Amino acid sequence: MSAVALGAAAPPAGRRRSGGGLVYIVAIGLPAAFFVAFFLGPLLYLVLLGFWRVENFSIVTSFSFGNYRDIAANFWRGSSYGLAIAQTLYVAATTAILAVALTYPMALAIVFSVPERWQRLVILLSVAPFWTSYILRVYAWQVLLARRGVVNGALAYIGLGDWQVNILYTQIATRIGLLHFLAPILVIILYVSIRNVDPTLIEASRQIGATRIQTLGRVILPMTRTGVILSLSFAALVACGDVLSGSILGGGAGDSALGKAPLFANMIVRAYASSTNLPHTAALAIVLILVMIALLLIGFAASERTKIVTK
Amino acid sequence: MSVKSGSRLPALGRAYLAFCFVFLLLPIATLIVFSFQRNQYASIPGQGWSLRWYQKLFSDGSLLDALQASLVVSPLAATGACVVGFFAAYAIHRYRFRGRVALMLLIMTPMLIPALILGIGFLGLLSRFGLQGELYSVILSHIVLVTAPAMALIQLRLSQMPESLEEAARNLGATEWQSLTRIVLPWALPGIAGGWILAFTFSFDEFVIAWFVCGFHPTLPVAIYAYIVGSADPSLNAMAAIIFLLSCVMLLCAELILAPFLADRRVEAPAVA
Repeated sequence: MSAVALGAAAPPAGRRRSGGGLVYIVAIGLPAAFFVAFFLGPLLYLVLLGFWRVENFSIVTSFSFGNYRDIAANFWRGSSYGLAIAQTLYVAATTAILAVALTYPMALAIVFSVPERWQRLVILLSVAPFWTSYILRVYAWQVLLARRGVVNGALAYIGLGDWQVNILYTQIATRIGLLHFLAPILVIILYVSIRNVDPTLIEASRQIGATRIQTLGRVILPMTRTGVILSLSFAALVACGDVLSGSILGGGAGDSALGKAPLFANMIVRAYASSTNLPHTAALAIVLILVMIALLLIGFAASERTKIVTK
Repeated sequence: MSVKSGSRLPALGRAYLAFCFVFLLLPIATLIVFSFQRNQYASIPGQGWSLRWYQKLFSDGSLLDALQASLVVSPLAATGACVVGFFAAYAIHRYRFRGRVALMLLIMTPMLIPALILGIGFLGLLSRFGLQGELYSVILSHIVLVTAPAMALIQLRLSQMPESLEEAARNLGATEWQSLTRIVLPWALPGIAGGWILAFTFSFDEFVIAWFVCGFHPTLPVAIYAYIVGSADPSLNAMAAIIFLLSCVMLLCAELILAPFLADRRVEAPAVA
């Protein structure tokens, strides 16, 4: 969004390179000071906190790796943080792929099978859920998916009582909640990137005799690669840091192919709620940050690889 | 990009779209329907229409108190975000200075990293100074979170401002401050209004940071979470119906304010069924 807003890389002639007046000082100084104090401050403090410890209900500010040693010792045993990290990566990756696989056709359908003048309305409707409370949407899925909930009630009502759906408190339900959160955002990203494909290229490919499916595979998909990668990484990032779906729909430690294990974010929240040990919680948060940075680097490297391959 | 008839694909696309909309809108519809049903536990078939859950909601109070708290926090957070966002957007739009990109990144990052991490960091720093556990702790941390969308929309609006406007003001002898308040600010107003609505929405929905720093003053999402984990009853559905109504109003406002200038200055008539 900001990249679009910035538009031209080269500043127009009228731009002053520097000011020096009061406006210049306030316009730069106020946001900068605010964000250094209230954003960088808490982040740096979080890093420091991770090296401190709690004794007699108060924080002792002496530097040690104790929290990290404890996390390492409990990586596969006890609290098994490692399993939670594995579960997080597994759920995040599958959610991202699922979300893009489902929203890409949706964006395609909006571009190609909805008349131009209706597209804005359809987009508005797709984004509508995003404006409503996420926690309530998650709660609604709980109501829908409960053992004696709406979906099973409806199935029994139409005589399909044998086909009960029991996925609440598994990671499948977690993914549904995340998908519901992500879909509106991903549709926008993908719609814009599909709309930006030059229509003459699509026309040309059809003129040469490509079928619609071939045109999709050879023209539209390669040209919307950036949008797809952006969507995948955004979805994975959201899934890594999300608390609500995993706790309300996944039941805290939902079952999945990897077994019953919580998402790491849920583990952090529960660790804090049960112990209120802030330094230890901070160390866990730092571990989450490191995992996500690693994930981003891997994703970046992978997308660079595909660039070389597609060339 | 025309819709060609004679192929089944467009029809297939429309069918798929319909399926997607069922998925997207079903949960919301479910809560609204069951807020008006007698059922203690939502299931099909319903047990008939009633307003008992609305009565319970308004006689109970805990969710309403939280709604009140949220209606203090979110407007203030949105206003703070618009003030900081406007100055930041203007600085980035107008001046070339060292650290310009750094400032942008600094403002954008809070939206991209998990709110959980911010929540723990805020709690740590605020409790260091004994400022945690109050509504203003939530407001402060929310301003950091929701400045990004406000700034983005204001920037978008400023990028559409003709250079000549400010030039003319200065040539006519306006001081920097006058040209900022009389030219730039009025021009940016639609962007500020849109940004305010967006910031309000994000703040109103934000759960994790509020959960960490609010102490015993829960905002609405925090109270709702406690309600779900504790003993959910359909008065939550009644609350949900009210919030959805509020969201619709916000969405309509946003559409009316943003449509003209988001549509790339091609002011289109909004599609009305």
